[in-house]
Amino acid sequence: MFRIKKSSDMLPAIQRGKPVTIHVDGKPIEAYQGETVAAAMLAAGIRTFHKSHKQKQPRSLYCGMGICYECLVTINGVHAQRACITPVKQGMQIETCKELEL
Amino acid sequence: MIESFELAVIGAGPGGMEATITAAGFGVRTVLIDSYPQPGGQYFMRIPSDFKVDYENKTETAGRKLVNYVLKVPSLKILNCLVWGLFQEEDGSWLVALYGENAPKYVRAKNLILSTGSYDTPVAFPGWTLPGVVTSGGTLVLLKNQRVAPGKRALISGTGPLLFSVAAHLIEAGVEVVALCEVNHILPHGIKHAFTMLKQWDRLTEGAKYMKTILGVKTPYKIGWSVVEARGQDAVEQAIIAKMDKFGHPIPGTQKVFDVDLVVSGFTLTPNTGLPRMIDCEMSYQAGKGGWIPVRDADFQTSIPHVYVVGDGAGVGGAENARLEGKIAGTSVAKNTGFLSLSREKQIRQEIQSDLHQQHRFGDLLSDLFTPPAGLVSLLKDDTIICRCEEITLGEIKDAIQMGARSIGEVKMLTRTGMGNCQGRMCEHTVAAIIADQLAGEGVTREDVGYYSIRPPLHPLPQSFLADAVPEEE
Repeated sequence: MFRIKKSSDMLPAIQRGKPVTIHVDGKPIEAYQGETVAAAMLAAGIRTFHKSHKQKQPRSLYCGMGICYECLVTINGVHAQRACITPVKQGMQIETCKELEL
Repeated sequence: MIESFELAVIGAGPGGMEATITAAGFGVRTVLIDSYPQPGGQYFMRIPSDFKVDYENKTETAGRKLVNYVLKVPSLKILNCLVWGLFQEEDGSWLVALYGENAPKYVRAKNLILSTGSYDTPVAFPGWTLPGVVTSGGTLVLLKNQRVAPGKRALISGTGPLLFSVAAHLIEAGVEVVALCEVNHILPHGIKHAFTMLKQWDRLTEGAKYMKTILGVKTPYKIGWSVVEARGQDAVEQAIIAKMDKFGHPIPGTQKVFDVDLVVSGFTLTPNTGLPRMIDCEMSYQAGKGGWIPVRDADFQTSIPHVYVVGDGAGVGGAENARLEGKIAGTSVAKNTGFLSLSREKQIRQEIQSDLHQQHRFGDLLSDLFTPPAGLVSLLKDDTIICRCEEITLGEIKDAIQMGARSIGEVKMLTRTGMGNCQGRMCEHTVAAIIADQLAGEGVTREDVGYYSIRPPLHPLPQSFLADAVPEEE
């Protein structure tokens, strides 16, 4: 999993947005304005976004378009946000595999 | 005060944008609603506005022009929010329930054009819930829109021409594609469609470009093969493929194992029909169109007057088909609201009829060659999770059928399949196929099995929001 740097006919080079810092489970990762939380996490090599409720199996981005709810993470304390359609913002705190406390 | 419109268009892909441009262009007071920040839908999705690119291809240029045109339609209201419900009022008009940061809670409209598109048909196989199994649509969005590759070594499996696009984009991104598996035995059967294909020059040239990239790195294209299992501890480490018979059953002794970190699953598309189901539009099962679709008249109006459905959400047919259908529905609304004469409406329809016919012929070709075979359910094991959200296995679904469940609604009630976050979108295809397979001896078909009923809210919403969502008395 990586950011595509080389330019090709189908995927010509792009200039990403301004660099921002986001934290995933307390660790800073590289991210750029315009990226989704899921894209930045995958590019940082983070594969498990949440664990399933019953069997505690690792789950991650599947549909990539906001309808399967498999890429859920906790963002700035708000539970169950879809990483694939949420753009990164400077200072964002993301937590993976966080159980909802009731 | 709830703002009122003649027309609400839901979904700003090619179908919704064209319907909007057409209706609003004739003077119909229109609101266009989409959950993404920029119009375009999945097909014409723009790169994020924070990214800069020097070059755009033909599709991107066409998309940018259509989006810019929509943004400039005078007196058009565009809302960036989610539609979570549709409620009919006594006078027949619709309350469209909205959820979004800067959106009102409701708008009111006399006519609805639903253009909600489609999504990858989720085909379950052992290991499909592992991180690293991604749909073809999800893979393309990451590559094209985010310029991020979701893996380094990929196996692509599914059916249909979209697989070539995924393969070519992955290869150009620098991902090693170990094999591209097409589950259907498309040769020599496909030759009869050569004439229809020749009329699709744009599609052919695009396909040729993809083939050049794929052949350039000698990626094996395996017709009649499919992924049968993904394996790994915390993410995909291996993909197992096998040769399949024409019904979609794996042939014993043909398995091959690849070390990969990405399995792309692309078994064609399923119409996104949550909204038409929610308001009880009459539905019909058409396997070749992607599953359950609303029944429509020649104007693309559903069984409920003044409610139209266009594009992939009414049967998968592609972007140009969606655009043409949007134009017809938009014209029909303009005529019915008195903004367009009958003769002018007829003229517009005639102008695009042959193009639309051509698109439908191409759609027939796709469905003839590339519908996911029913036998794929034979890949599932008793402990394979079918409903991702509620973690319901094949074994539990079989138990429910043993107990007497005959429809997908009954399986849902007994097991909770389809009751989680995704509202059944991810498991409906497989659960229905399992029931039809288990009860094949009794002559039960996919049509008999039915579909999940959909109730508001269409997507999970915060309870605090819903508690406050009762419309004010006026």
